[in-house]
Amino acid sequence: MSVHPLADPQPAERSAGRRAGSPNSPAPNLRALPTVRRRQKGLIAGVLVLLIAALAAVLATNIYVANSQYDVVQMTNEHRDLVHQNQALTQQVQFLESPQALSNSAVTLGMVMPAPAGTIDLSTGEIVSSAEVASSSEVPSSFVSAPTSWQPEQTPVDVAEQTETSASGLLGAGALHTLSQPPAGENSPGTATGGTSPAIELNGGTIPAPQVTD
Amino acid sequence: MARTLSLRMRIGLAIVLALLVVLGGRLFHIQGLDPAGHAHQAISNRLHTVELPAARGDIVDTQGRLLAGSADRYDIVADPRLTGDYTVPDEEMGMQRPVTVEQTAEELALLLEADAEDVLESLTAENTHYSTIARNVTPEVHQRIMELRAPGVYAEPVSERTYPSGPVAGSIIGFVGSDGPLEGLEAEANEALTGEPGERIYEVGADGVRIPTATYEEIPAEDGQDLRLTIDQDIQWFAQEAIAEKTNEYNAQWGNATVVDLREGREGEILAMADSETVDPSDPAATDELFRRPLALTQDFEPGSGGKSVTFAAALEEGVVEPESEFHVPYRITVNGESIRNARTHADYDMTAAGIYARSYNTGTLMIGNRMEEQTRYDYLRKVGYGEPMDIGLGVDGQSILRPPEEWDRRQPLTTQFGQGYTGSVLHNVQLYQMLAQDGVKHPLRIVDAHLDPDGEEHLVTSEPERIFSSNTSQEMLKLMEGVVDYGSAMGAQIDGYRVGGKSGTAEAAGASGGFDGYTVNFIGVAPLDDPQFVVSITVHRPAGQFGDWDLTNTFTDIMTHALTSYDVPPSEEESGAYDGFVGERQDYPW
Repeated sequence: MSVHPLADPQPAERSAGRRAGSPNSPAPNLRALPTVRRRQKGLIAGVLVLLIAALAAVLATNIYVANSQYDVVQMTNEHRDLVHQNQALTQQVQFLESPQALSNSAVTLGMVMPAPAGTIDLSTGEIVSSAEVASSSEVPSSFVSAPTSWQPEQTPVDVAEQTETSASGLLGAGALHTLSQPPAGENSPGTATGGTSPAIELNGGTIPAPQVTD
Repeated sequence: MARTLSLRMRIGLAIVLALLVVLGGRLFHIQGLDPAGHAHQAISNRLHTVELPAARGDIVDTQGRLLAGSADRYDIVADPRLTGDYTVPDEEMGMQRPVTVEQTAEELALLLEADAEDVLESLTAENTHYSTIARNVTPEVHQRIMELRAPGVYAEPVSERTYPSGPVAGSIIGFVGSDGPLEGLEAEANEALTGEPGERIYEVGADGVRIPTATYEEIPAEDGQDLRLTIDQDIQWFAQEAIAEKTNEYNAQWGNATVVDLREGREGEILAMADSETVDPSDPAATDELFRRPLALTQDFEPGSGGKSVTFAAALEEGVVEPESEFHVPYRITVNGESIRNARTHADYDMTAAGIYARSYNTGTLMIGNRMEEQTRYDYLRKVGYGEPMDIGLGVDGQSILRPPEEWDRRQPLTTQFGQGYTGSVLHNVQLYQMLAQDGVKHPLRIVDAHLDPDGEEHLVTSEPERIFSSNTSQEMLKLMEGVVDYGSAMGAQIDGYRVGGKSGTAEAAGASGGFDGYTVNFIGVAPLDDPQFVVSITVHRPAGQFGDWDLTNTFTDIMTHALTSYDVPPSEEESGAYDGFVGERQDYPW
């Protein structure tokens, strides 16, 4: 701001000096001054606007970065929850895929051990051995116990439960819909961010308190 | 236009300058020199270093099915100095609701399925600032506990090993205790599985959120290698069921079923090493100590008649006998004053060497074995692996006791010819039949197929094959084994459509007091003989009942059939290559 008083007289002096060379120069030449002054005003305004804009930009960036940090923390937590959820489901699948579990499920469905399979020699088209009918008494034994760490009642997430309320009724499409959005009729803001994340505690404010989990 | 400054102005300027210099000096002193270490302290206050744990490698079977993995778990701990009554905001009432420490304990106990009094004790323990409430809690329970917002209750992330198939291959995988791996591959391959932990360094502001523009360093963790075994989970389970059933049937002390791959490129790979009872790595304490390590390595016993294969193979190799050489075989013979009998009384027979092998006559075996020097027979026993520990990369060496001929007693020169007077583990026996079935070439048995880097690169575990017998000896031995199944001591081992060969054996088991007080029964078979694909060994230790009561061949055929069909080995219509057992037309002499 202190520049203006100093800069002010210079252009006037310079133009006056230039004109001093011609003796016939008329006085009204100085009328240009108001224009110069008006230009200066524009410059000041421009500088001010730029300055304010720069400050605002810095402020906005800072606010954005700070907010992003909160988002990052929240998303990290959400990611961890989802990883855990995924891990639990994967484990569920692995336990159900274990040979004992498969055998037990097969027995429950009434399946028995296979009888010798038939074979055909493809090059001659000859039947090498014919298949036999499996005997209904050949139930697989169950000496190998199920994994001790696996308790079916521990079922961490039952996707079917979440899809029950889906409008489509189709498990595939419905599951996706329900997992990405809260089920219809349930619109509390607390559960909008994910099925298992805890309700956000605002403590009377509008920004949730950060949670550092390290 | 030079306007001189007034004196007052100059003095003022000088004072301002002087103050500026003083301030500058102080700033330099504090910021530049930092004698009190404030700046350093400030940084270390903001600086957080977090260890990034390396994920422990998985153990998978030959087809990539998970046998051991890791999952995130939490240890719930309390700082009893900080626990106590507290308040939680109640949404319904819109005010703070008080919670006593007893209520906290009850709520925790409900979530942890523990005893409320034990939890209360942990929460209120004196003279400590660390007490564990629960270990290895699932993330779901951990989250519910954190929602209680109880002061002084923390969670420490830990990694827990999970074994999705429980006791299937449990003794091979081993287990991990609270202080680290204890048994099996978990212990043996610990270094490869562990990896290198990383580190993350960043600055945190007073509100606990990372300062975005400040220092941020991350040294990523190097995850451990995965281990791919040669075990086939499905065959392993099937074999465990089958051997458990057989052991149960005979009320035996233990049983083992081992399946070894002979297919090209996979020679010597152990597909299954099943014990009659197997430890569940998640709960090792629930299983008897005997079954916590693989029996195929930990138990050594006399091979019995199975050991005759070494004598016959050596005799064929040395050229002292042909499969159809004729012998006059009595029930009992006396050599050097020692009397040796066969298992059952019989008339004298004129037999071929193949017949002696098929009917497993001790007397006939001696007639063949005595054509060789003691030292020669001993050397062959050593060459096939007896008398040396068996290492398959599992950290447990299979034991075998075989004394040199100088230390043999009067009977041992005879008994060692038919599998007595020395011991070996199941894998010693299996290794012998592996080389007999595969052109006389020994492919060392192994159980780890490959180490897999986190980026997927495979480091295959290889072994050096070694020729022990000639190709011809191997071919003849397979025909002798076919005789055992066709008309000899193991006719129950026949499988429709496949040529099967094998050898049964029974040996007395040494008791704790020194004498023999039980039996070890085994059968080892190979199929299909036109192109051997698998060796299956069945061993049952101390079955109840009398000698001759036991038949392991149905367990063998169950497991062998399962392996053949699982790996799509087609049946063939090839004729049996077995030699006649008796001299002359008549072959059906009584036992």
